[in-house]
Amino acid sequence: MKKFKYLLYIVLLTSATGCDKYLDVQPLESISDTQTIFDKSSAETAIRGVYSALSNSNYYGTTFQSIGYLSGDNIQWTGSQSQVQEFINKKVNAENATISGAWTAIYRTINRANNVIAKVPGVTDPLLTEALKNQIVGEAYFVRALAYFDLARTWGGVPLIVTPTSNPTQNRGIARSTTAQTYAQVLKDLETAEPLLPSTTDRFRATRKTVWALRSRYHLYQKEWAKAEEYAAKLLSDNTFQAVKPYSAFFANDARGTQESVFEIFYSANETNTHRGQWQPQTNGGTRQWAPNDALVALLNDATKGGNRSTLVAKDNQNRWYGNLYYRTPATDPTYVIRIAELYLIRAEVRAQQDKLADALTDLNVIRSRAGISPSTAASKDAVLLDIENERRLEFALEPHRWYDIVRTGRAAQVFNVTDPNRLVLPIPSGELLIDKALVQNPGY
Amino acid sequence: MKKKFLLQLWVSILLIPLGIAAQSPEATINATLSGIVSDEKTREPLIGASIQIKGTTNGAITNADGKFYLKTGQKLPFTLIVNYIGYDTREVLVNTNTIEIRLLANAKQLSEIVVVGYGTQERKNLIGSVSKVDPSEVSAIPVGSFDAQLQGKVSGVQISSPTGVPGETVNVRVRGATSINADNDPLYVVDGVFVNSNSLQTISTGGKSSSPITDINPSDIQSIEVLKDAEATALYGSRGANGVILITTKRGNFDQAPKVNFNASYGQAKAVKLWELTTGPEHAQLVNEWWINTGKDTPSLNRTEANRPFRPVSEGGRGLPEEQQTYDRLGEAFRTATLQNYDLSVTGGTKTTKYYIGGGYNDQEAILKPITFNRASFKVNLDQKINERVQVGVSNTFTRTYRNQARAGDGPQGGLLQAALHTPTYLSPYNEQGVLVGRAGFDNLTLLLENYDVNSTSLRYIGNLYAEAELLSNLKLRTSWGVDYNNYNESEYWNTFLLLGAQGGLATSSISQFSSLLNEQTLTYRKKFGTKHSFGLIVGNTLQSDVLTRTYAEGRGFANNSFKIISSAATTTSTQSWSKSNLASFFAKADYVFNSKYLVDFSLRADGSSRFGADRKWGYFPAVGGAWRIKQEDFLKDVKFISDLKLRASYGIVGNQNGIGNFAAQGLWTGGAPYQGNPGIAPQQLANPDLRWEKTNQFNIGIDAAVLEGKLSFELNYYNKYTRDGLLQLALPSTTGFANYWSNAAEISNKGFELNINSVNYDRGGLTWTTSFNIARNVNNIEKLENPLRYGSRELILQQQGTPLYSFWVYKQLSVDPQTGNVVYEDVNKDGQITVADRQIVGSIWPKFFGGLTNNVSYKNFELSAFLSFQYGNKIYNHNKFFGEGGGARDAARIIFASNNARWQKPGDITDVPRPDGVNVNNYRDGGSRWLEDGSFLRLRSLNLSYNLPKEIARKLRADGLKVYVNGTNLFLLTKYTGLDPESSASSEQNAQGIDLGTPPQPRSYQVGISVTL
Repeated sequence: MKKFKYLLYIVLLTSATGCDKYLDVQPLESISDTQTIFDKSSAETAIRGVYSALSNSNYYGTTFQSIGYLSGDNIQWTGSQSQVQEFINKKVNAENATISGAWTAIYRTINRANNVIAKVPGVTDPLLTEALKNQIVGEAYFVRALAYFDLARTWGGVPLIVTPTSNPTQNRGIARSTTAQTYAQVLKDLETAEPLLPSTTDRFRATRKTVWALRSRYHLYQKEWAKAEEYAAKLLSDNTFQAVKPYSAFFANDARGTQESVFEIFYSANETNTHRGQWQPQTNGGTRQWAPNDALVALLNDATKGGNRSTLVAKDNQNRWYGNLYYRTPATDPTYVIRIAELYLIRAEVRAQQDKLADALTDLNVIRSRAGISPSTAASKDAVLLDIENERRLEFALEPHRWYDIVRTGRAAQVFNVTDPNRLVLPIPSGELLIDKALVQNPGY
Repeated sequence: MKKKFLLQLWVSILLIPLGIAAQSPEATINATLSGIVSDEKTREPLIGASIQIKGTTNGAITNADGKFYLKTGQKLPFTLIVNYIGYDTREVLVNTNTIEIRLLANAKQLSEIVVVGYGTQERKNLIGSVSKVDPSEVSAIPVGSFDAQLQGKVSGVQISSPTGVPGETVNVRVRGATSINADNDPLYVVDGVFVNSNSLQTISTGGKSSSPITDINPSDIQSIEVLKDAEATALYGSRGANGVILITTKRGNFDQAPKVNFNASYGQAKAVKLWELTTGPEHAQLVNEWWINTGKDTPSLNRTEANRPFRPVSEGGRGLPEEQQTYDRLGEAFRTATLQNYDLSVTGGTKTTKYYIGGGYNDQEAILKPITFNRASFKVNLDQKINERVQVGVSNTFTRTYRNQARAGDGPQGGLLQAALHTPTYLSPYNEQGVLVGRAGFDNLTLLLENYDVNSTSLRYIGNLYAEAELLSNLKLRTSWGVDYNNYNESEYWNTFLLLGAQGGLATSSISQFSSLLNEQTLTYRKKFGTKHSFGLIVGNTLQSDVLTRTYAEGRGFANNSFKIISSAATTTSTQSWSKSNLASFFAKADYVFNSKYLVDFSLRADGSSRFGADRKWGYFPAVGGAWRIKQEDFLKDVKFISDLKLRASYGIVGNQNGIGNFAAQGLWTGGAPYQGNPGIAPQQLANPDLRWEKTNQFNIGIDAAVLEGKLSFELNYYNKYTRDGLLQLALPSTTGFANYWSNAAEISNKGFELNINSVNYDRGGLTWTTSFNIARNVNNIEKLENPLRYGSRELILQQQGTPLYSFWVYKQLSVDPQTGNVVYEDVNKDGQITVADRQIVGSIWPKFFGGLTNNVSYKNFELSAFLSFQYGNKIYNHNKFFGEGGGARDAARIIFASNNARWQKPGDITDVPRPDGVNVNNYRDGGSRWLEDGSFLRLRSLNLSYNLPKEIARKLRADGLKVYVNGTNLFLLTKYTGLDPESSASSEQNAQGIDLGTPPQPRSYQVGISVTL
């Protein structure tokens, strides 16, 4: 029996040695979240992570963008997923997977920005200059402003999260702010970002110029016409930005970062943009889940309306039209967040709103002339505004503007036949309401 | 009595498998005895039976003819003890120098040796709930793996084959399911090695995945034991919650002449039926009807009779419905598949060595082109006695499994059944220029079949090296070192004829390597105290380390279709991944038997897992069990009618950690967030330092009884399992920036019973008829879940507190209004409109009961066996039909099923198929209950007729035995399900079961085979 005990001890002890160490296995693909941003290099990689979130397929990759154009009147759906048809019918359910995907992706972007905003200022690394530190934090503020802007225009007021999440109990149970408060957060972040950023031109990352461009759009949405005009002018007077000719020059032939671009999101063979898959026909390796509808095809191919913007659509081997803005192989198509054309059209619109019709037409006709169509000769304010609205429909035919434009101008009833004002904002995803009791659904859903 | 028991135990457990090697004492009398041992009924000689002179260690083993020869050294008369596994031990009084001894096969198998955790036991001493299966009973069923063969054979084990593709994952559930996000698969142990049962497949085959269990050749398996209750599984504590399946492979016997076994079978398989589709004209008619109906509903659409899609070509239409052609694509995609299987093995042994060498080759075509499954395996098991006390041995399995794979499920591109089934029948495979084109967004079927090039090769080694030493007479030490290594190599090539390769071709390569290293020590002690007390103790430890690495490369843009390797692609990308988990365990089990009547045992296992929070790594899993052999009591001893009666009960806690990420408890940032070609970092997951083991408490009570000399026996078990701290990816509000985090947040219960009945119905004059029947019921319920979780296509599955796992969440169709032709759904909240709030749970995938029935009739050399399996009361969602009954709204984008012809057309029509209108508007709503069907079935799984050539004739052919057989599977299927196969399920995701989409059915097959023993 003694022998037995002795043996037992040997077996147990030899195996137990180093057990704690044995059970401590660390990953090689990830790092612990306890020490993340602590020097120049980690600060730089963290801000890239923020842009990466912006480029995610659920945000500016595909999903969020699709809300903007599917909800308009340019696109038809050919697939079997009814979540797409709900946008086209303008009867979006709270169960819709597109809205929950976008909502989640936007807040993930905000959390990444919050990490940079909270942690980078505290980094003490002699290699991390004050200028670089400011730039990184300024970029994070810009991205957060864009994220809240997108949330506000899609859902109205949302919970405002401005600190990073480090455990599951944080940043939940926070009630929605009002739409005004959410837009106020956008403005505040843009105002904070502006002085931190350099006044250089970078078409893939935020600079002071990118902030001005988004401010111009922000003031347009707020109907602060003069401010919108002021900020648009800052870019329109900058010769690093041009409405490149012809229209297709900003995207065709694998173009990237042209003078047209104020802010575009970068994709590469390793960081692909899956957007093309939804547009391209099967013979080009896509699914053509959604395609330009007959009305849009007719407009784009009308030489007096679409002009050379007809390059946005093409025909496949079964004579079906497809959208051709996102087409590259490998899938490196940029996402065009802000183009100089938008600033021309913003300034045209706000000038018209301020009854500066001739100036308005000057800006509008830059875009029309680039498209190869005759100048607008609209004579009344309403006519100019309508021409601008129609111009935007074609200029941004496959970009996410149409829905937001018609909603912000209050013309959804006339243009989309949407008479229920509750339908002008989308429902908060039902899954979010289930988990977070502090969230309240938009009325009518 | 006690002495005899002890002797028997030792003889059967230890000596028999090792052979009797005891040295004969010097014969004092030069007397000899020769004889033959044979089966009482068949008179077949028994090879390897042991003969021992009572009171001595002098004995012998019968040779290949069942004969033995022995120097007795004894005066007549003396008593012989004759032992043979599976037969009653006999004591024979010897009066002559030659003798014929006949042994009676032990029908009730009380002395059957059952493999249990870290040892073996006689069935009569079992406390836990263990089912033993003889794999040879089902070995003729042509599927990829033994688990698929076992369907309906083991009570309480629900096995379903979600696809007719051989070698794909089979769903195995032992006594229900205990977890939402952790695995519900049982633990597989092959010769003491914990083997991986999670598919390494990375390429998409439309929701399904290959089964790693197919790497084990069923022909190499000697026995399969399924451990079900906590007493039986507790020694596997950490991974016992879903049951344990122990596989013992074949080994040789000491002192056995080499025996060669050869098996060959050949057969064919074919689908019993295929989907019934509308013809071209019917399709066109429905589309026109939909067009006009939607025009009436919404005049602004301007859809009228005049501009209907199928109007004369002269009017700009696609031609009248009756002018449409019908193209049969299903016939092109399905085939009569061939099946072949060959196994060759040699077993034998000397006094100190025994061996099993086996080779197998299995080749099966799926009934859906171009899918094939092909396995070549090689097995060597070797045991060597170093001396009387020390033995070493190895088990080795090498397998190469090759698969031609294809997407037989969901997903448009490369989807085989999308191209074959979901493409409208009226559309020609050619365009106007006579070029083959894909329709409806799917590939062209002909091009797909010609150019499909997706394959995988699994190289698998499962091996184990052990040494066993008898330290003291009652104390044995065993150390064992095991490896499960799997190299899984996949490649795809999509040339320019296929949608996925449309842009210059696409090639991918993925190489996964899984290795599991295992070390185990056990000390076993057993001793008898006095005449009535028997005590046993086992202590041990296990260290296991699993590593999974993966390298993936992809190339796009090839010069032409002759270049297929990534190195010649224009653009290439690649990724790599690495993951590891460690497990350390200590365990002990003590048992005590009093007077062969009362048995108790207690076990405890402590498991430490690297996956859990720093202070939560260790889990403790105790179990206690007891049994009362009532038949041994005096008051039953003389009751002839009852031949056995035993009561068993056990209670214990077992754990689960499988299926969660290896780093689930840690807070992590990923390096995979690059921008502009430069690296980026980002938050990945939140830490949960409190993450811990999922624990299942299980109570089991059982009764084993046999009457009429064991001719009728039954086993009844009731169990109650309750799982706490269920591992769950708990959803987080998106405002946190995270989707979820791992936590212990669910509670799930499973309660049920299992009944096994075995009977010998007739046994006279060479005719034997036996029946074996099992039936089980499991009631599953989610006891605690804070927020409901939705899974599957169209969120058809809802996991919600208070209902069973895998419940279907649908809009309940009450009727089709005979006046309007519109569906009437149940308005659950009575608000006058049908919204998502009106979705409700209607049934689940769980059957009310399930089981199997086997009948065996043997007459002389013929044997006929019929094996039925059944399931009653489960639901299945016919998702193919959902797509196929779109009422024309999907127009040219989707097939229409023939069942849609029964749609409502005019007031007064009574039907359950509504009038055609827009998809998801109302009548063809996603998640409608019309496609939720009863999945009950009764299936003749296998019918087998075999003929054993009489020994004398076989001898003339220089064979020991020769058997020929014919086997048929799925010869009939009784079901109300309108799809092809009520077991079909599109996805191997465990939370999305029971949705039938694009799945080839299990085929009907016929095989002939021959088995020769030399």
